[in-house]
Amino acid sequence: MGLIEVGRVCIKTAGREAGKKCVVVKIIDKNFVEITGPKELTGVRRRRVNVKHLLPLPLKIDISEDAEDSEVLEALKSTDLYKEIVKAE
Amino acid sequence: MRIIELNVRGTRRRLKKRRVAVRTPGGKVVYHYKAKRHGPARCAICKKPLNATPTGPRSFMKKLPKSKKRPNRPYGGYLCPSCFRKIVLKEALREGEILIKGGISVT
Repeated sequence: MGLIEVGRVCIKTAGREAGKKCVVVKIIDKNFVEITGPKELTGVRRRRVNVKHLLPLPLKIDISEDAEDSEVLEALKSTDLYKEIVKAE
Repeated sequence: MRIIELNVRGTRRRLKKRRVAVRTPGGKVVYHYKAKRHGPARCAICKKPLNATPTGPRSFMKKLPKSKKRPNRPYGGYLCPSCFRKIVLKEALREGEILIKGGISVT
């Protein structure tokens, strides 16, 4: 898997949330991970997804495994990505 | 020998309708004009027929809810999933460059 790890920022490529960014929160097995937007920020719900439906980005944030949405949001706030998303809105 | 009668009343009828050869009870073969059939919805890039998009006359399509007429995805009912993913990838490559230029931790 390599690139898919806890804290990795990805883009969803399938489903209703396709094209939106999300953060990997937990690795379930070699095919599935748990992700979150968090929902207030990007609109991606906390859910289990197949790794094939994720596109990893060269950005990784520092979070612990199984982190809460609020922790992820806090960790994202220091990145340029957060500013970009907030500016876009 | 079959005698085909062109049962034309309007000169422009062929533009709107398709012709179907029908054997009448009197033994003649005549053309009946029927509504044209609708083709399947196709991907705008690769022209393959799209899945999960029903086809039919407008009266039938109007009765269906929106969620049964196209997949609930950006460009759903317009692009096929593989072409959509290519677009997402292109967009991400652009985004990725921006992120690297920003000087954020790249692993």
